[in-house]
Amino acid sequence: MLLDFDRLGALRWLLVGIGVLVALFLLLPIVFIAALSFGDSQWLVFPPPGWTLRWYQELLSDPRWLEAMLTSAKVGLLVTVLSVLLGLLASLGLVRGSFYGREALRALFLTPLVLPVVVLAVALYAFFLRLGLNGTLLGFVIGHLIVALPFSIITISNSLEGFDRALEDAALICGASPLEVKLRVTLPAIKLGLFAAAIFSFLVSWDEVVLSIFMASPSLQTLPVRIWGTLRQDLTPVIAAASTLLVALTLVLMLLVALVRKGK
Amino acid sequence: MSLLSTTHGPPLRQAPPPRWRPSVEFRLTLPALALLLFFFILPVLALLLRSVMEPQLGLHNYIELFGSPTYARVFFNTFFVATVVTAVTLLIGFPVAWLLAIMPRFWSTLLFAVILLSMWTNLLARTYAWMVLLQRTGVINRTLLQWGLIDQPLPLVNNLVGVTIGMTYIMLPFIIMPLHATLKGIEPAILRAAALCGASRWQAFTRVLLPLALPGVAAGGLMVFVMSLGYFVTPALLGGTSYMMLAELIAQLVQSLLNWGLGGAAAFVLLLVTLALYAVQLRYLGGGRMGRGGR
Repeated sequence: MLLDFDRLGALRWLLVGIGVLVALFLLLPIVFIAALSFGDSQWLVFPPPGWTLRWYQELLSDPRWLEAMLTSAKVGLLVTVLSVLLGLLASLGLVRGSFYGREALRALFLTPLVLPVVVLAVALYAFFLRLGLNGTLLGFVIGHLIVALPFSIITISNSLEGFDRALEDAALICGASPLEVKLRVTLPAIKLGLFAAAIFSFLVSWDEVVLSIFMASPSLQTLPVRIWGTLRQDLTPVIAAASTLLVALTLVLMLLVALVRKGK
Repeated sequence: MSLLSTTHGPPLRQAPPPRWRPSVEFRLTLPALALLLFFFILPVLALLLRSVMEPQLGLHNYIELFGSPTYARVFFNTFFVATVVTAVTLLIGFPVAWLLAIMPRFWSTLLFAVILLSMWTNLLARTYAWMVLLQRTGVINRTLLQWGLIDQPLPLVNNLVGVTIGMTYIMLPFIIMPLHATLKGIEPAILRAAALCGASRWQAFTRVLLPLALPGVAAGGLMVFVMSLGYFVTPALLGGTSYMMLAELIAQLVQSLLNWGLGGAAAFVLLLVTLALYAVQLRYLGGGRMGRGGR
C-alpha cells in the first residue's frame, strides 16, 4: 500500500507537495542568481527594476576575470587528461588483478574523496611551500588531480566490471596482439565510462575551491578563487554573472553526459 | 562469445605462472599510487607530525586545543551544526526519496534531474545565492517586511541560521540518493501484505517501511554528518567569524596565525573523527555508498 503510488490516497498529495517544495528549494537559488545577473540593480534588488548585460560586460572586459577563467580551463583540461589516464591504468589493475592487498589499494585510492578537503589543502599548502609549487600551474594540477582521481577510478572501474572479457580473448584468438586488443576492443567498449570520467574530472577541477584558495597567488588564480576573493569584499552582481556562466557550463556538460548515455 | 570462456580468465590462452600474474596488474596502478604516496600520504603525515613537534616535542597542542574554551566553542559549533543539518535533511529527504521511489517514471526522472543539477552546480555559486537571499536587505527579509510579518530585518547570516540553511541546501541531494536506493529496493508486496493483515497506515509505516529503510537512513545520515563536520566554504561564508566551525579554524590557524602545530593538531582531530565514522559505516553498513569529504 505505502509503496503503491496510486493507492496512497491523501498521503500521495502530501508527498507530492513536499516534492514540489523541495524541487523549488533546490532550483530557486540557481534561477535567482541567473535573474540577478541580468538585472540592473547594483544592490541586488529583486525583482530587478530593469534588465541589462552590464555585469557580463564588466566580467568579460576585466583581464583579471579572463585570466582566472583561462587558468581554470587550462588546469581543468590537464587534470582531465591525467585523471582519465591514471584512472584507466589503476582501474585495469584493480579490476583485473588478484594481487595481495588489492582491496586496501582500492580503499587508498578512494580516501581523498572521503577526507575533509581542508585537511588535504593545509597539508599540501605546507608541502608546496617547501617545493615552491604554490601559485604555479603544476601545483593546481597536482592538487586537483588528487581529488578528481577517485571519481575517475570509480567510473572507469564500474564500466570495466560490466565488460565481458571473453571479447578480448576472442580478439586474441583471431590474431590480434595484446596491445591491439586493448586499443581496439577494450577501450571502445568502455568509452562511455571514459567519457563520464573525463567530464566528472573536469567538473571537480573546475569547481574546486578549498585547495585552490590555499594554493593561489595574487598573480595566478582560478575562477573559484577569484569569486571567493571578490565575495569576501562585496556581493557585486558581477559574481552573479560569473556564477551563471559556471552553472551554464555545468548544465551543458551534464546534458552531454545524459545524451551520450541515452544514445548508447 | 561467452561460450569460449569460463567466468574467470581465458581458458585457451596459456595461464601465466601465478607468481608473475599479479605484478603485471599491480604495476598498472603504480602511477596513481606514486602520485598519492608523494602528494597525499606524505604531506598529510608531515602535517600530523608537526602537530607533535612544533613548537616543541610533546602533546602541548592537543592540550591547548582541548583545554581552551574558545576551541571548545568551535568543536561544539561543528558538532551541533552537523547534528542539526543531519536531522533536518533526513526529515525533508525521506519523503522526497519515498516519492522518487514510487512516482511515475517521467516525473521521477525530472525530479532526479533537478537534484543532480543542484548537486553539481558550483558550490560557490550556490553559497553566493544564499548570501544574497539571506542578507539584511535580501529578498527574504524584504518580503517578510512587506507582508508585515516582521518589523525589523531578521539576522539570517553570520549565525547558526545561515549556516544551517546553506548546509541543508547542499546536503539534501546526498541524503536523498542513498535513501532512494534503499526505498526502491523494498518490495511493495510486503506493504500490501501488511495492509491485508490488518495493519493501519501508521502501523505499516512505523513497523514495516521504516525498519526496512533503516539501513539507508543510517548510511545517508552518517554520510551527511561526516561531510558537514569537515565543511569549509559554506560555514565560512554564511557563518562568518562569529559562528566558526572546525575547518575554518584550521584554515585560520595556518593561514592567518601561522600556528602550524595547533593547526596540525586540529586537522588531526578532524581527520580521526572522519575516518572513525567511515570505519563504522564500512563495518556495519557496507561500503557500497561512499560519501564525499567536506568541501
